[in-house]
Amino acid sequence: MVSEFKLNSEVKNDCVVISTSGYVNNLGGQKIVDEFNSHHQNGLNNYVLNLAESKVVNSIGISFLIEVIEKLNDSSGKLVFTNLDPSVDKTFTIMGLFHYAEKAQSVDDGIQLLTNNKPD
Amino acid sequence: MVKTENYSALLDRLSLQVNSFQEGFRILSNSRSLHDIGKNFVHLLRGNLLVSDINLFHKRNEDDDWIDLYIQKTESKSFTSYLKTSEALHLNFEKDSDYKVYFTLRCIDNSYFGIIIGSKIDKNDFNSLDAITLQIFTRLLDNAYQTFKARLREKELIFSLNHKVLQLNSLVDTGIEISKLENNTQLLELALERAVALTNASKGVMRIIRDEKVIATLRLPNTINVAETLKSKDRIETQVDYRGYSYIVTLVDKESRDGNAKFDDTDEILLTAFARQVHSAVENKELHKEALENETIKKELSVASSIQKKIIPETLPVIEGYEIAGINISSKEVGGDYYDCRILPNGKVALVMADVAGKGVPASLLVSSLSASLHAYLETEISLDDLAVKLNKLIYQSSTADKFITCFISILNPSTGELDIINAGHNPSLHLRENKVLEKIEAGGIALGMFDMGLPFKSEKRRIEKGERILMFTDGIPEAMNENDEEYSDERLEKFCIDNCFHDAEKFINELVADVRSFTKDTPQSDDITALYLIRKS
Repeated sequence: MVSEFKLNSEVKNDCVVISTSGYVNNLGGQKIVDEFNSHHQNGLNNYVLNLAESKVVNSIGISFLIEVIEKLNDSSGKLVFTNLDPSVDKTFTIMGLFHYAEKAQSVDDGIQLLTNNKPD
Repeated sequence: MVKTENYSALLDRLSLQVNSFQEGFRILSNSRSLHDIGKNFVHLLRGNLLVSDINLFHKRNEDDDWIDLYIQKTESKSFTSYLKTSEALHLNFEKDSDYKVYFTLRCIDNSYFGIIIGSKIDKNDFNSLDAITLQIFTRLLDNAYQTFKARLREKELIFSLNHKVLQLNSLVDTGIEISKLENNTQLLELALERAVALTNASKGVMRIIRDEKVIATLRLPNTINVAETLKSKDRIETQVDYRGYSYIVTLVDKESRDGNAKFDDTDEILLTAFARQVHSAVENKELHKEALENETIKKELSVASSIQKKIIPETLPVIEGYEIAGINISSKEVGGDYYDCRILPNGKVALVMADVAGKGVPASLLVSSLSASLHAYLETEISLDDLAVKLNKLIYQSSTADKFITCFISILNPSTGELDIINAGHNPSLHLRENKVLEKIEAGGIALGMFDMGLPFKSEKRRIEKGERILMFTDGIPEAMNENDEEYSDERLEKFCIDNCFHDAEKFINELVADVRSFTKDTPQSDDITALYLIRKS
């Protein structure tokens, strides 16, 4: 069953990897945005959001993710979602998130996607 | 007081600023947030008014406090009391104040911008052209804000439409997904997850209740305190009842970006729809399980039937001086009754009537064991007492505790009419004497396979004389039930035997079955009907 929301982050190859577990709702979404802001203010512009342990996302949580995407669009940054549960993948597709963010199978794939897209 | 410039100079300046206004509008309209609008507005004013100290505030409505949107100097905040809200745009110029211009702009959503402007860099007073420039840029701010709000509403509308599509899609998907799940707990967990997520509830609880007791509780998130959660006033709830179980789903504390919201009709409809899906899925699973069980039983009965067909004689042997007939009608596809009649190597005839506790394959296998053992032992001319002891041990060792066999075995010497009889817990057979006196043959002991304690079986000897008859039967005849739950009874059977003693064996059996049928009418046959009827003719 879905657990309480938890989050951790690390920086790999100039990419911020934020990994979550639990329900991505108002509380979870706010924590993601707060974590994102703390890195974004330091000039980091590439993000992997690893949702391997988050199988349930509501629309309030999604609105926070859109906020992250918009901020990254403004700063020419990028976001890659990884390890998506099929139902979350479908939810993001319907909500249009993949128009402005990408997805990858794993965190390593996500980092590779971000670093390969970097301009020379 | 604002100084006036000559008309020609004014036109020249306005002409130069047209491009600036157009560019200003483009920049303001493309602002992505309220903060961006404020920042861009201040930058545009600075460039056009030659003022560095420009401070912008905003408040949601007339009664709210001003919040900083973009301020140049912190001390400007203490001058917000000079900002007077009004429907019309009115620029207030203050010569003697630290800040020279104060004005507010009422927006389309009744919120307000408040602008406080300090001295010009060149220390000149604000003139008419500055005033016009300020008015034009303020109108641009108003238009940009309207554009921003329209874009925001458009985004919200798209988000809302997408969310509706998501809800419908998820409803369909969930129905399909839960129907595929074998495990009931997984099914219920998935339904709860979807109901919570799609209604934007912050928590969800599903309680499964039987006999007014909560036998299981699912929670989302799994760390919540159920009792505390259920106390929430902001909740919606639905209940599904199925086969004595109640599934109560409670969703608590609807979320919004601003905090908690109220559950609406759509949420209620969604929750009810999810509950219906759970009901259908659980019901389908149960029906599928029953169908599989029925199929298994059908196959089992088919196997048992084929076993039984092989051990119940298709035809009975001809015994000189006697007439014999038998019948076995199973209540299900196969039962636990068994009869046999066979001529032994010494010319005697073995007559067997048995009833196994239970039905189906286990019962027919036990009957099969009994039949095979009987055949083997009867070949050896073993005494019936010893035969019963051996059969008892064999059945006891080869069956479960709830399985046993009641059995009536009779060895007939056809030439003398002597009968060696043992009755192992079976219904007493009926011996109708020539004078129409009915005797019950009780001889014997306990049912075979019930105990293995060395209890003795005591056989009985009797003789069947010319014209006399013996009916062996199982309890399916006297215990046949009618629609009033009344039994056919031993008494009725005994009377039937006396009243129908003129029939030949075949006819007697047929009439007996017909009499039982006339008694039970349309009531389904609850037990096997098995009988063997012997008449001494000479």
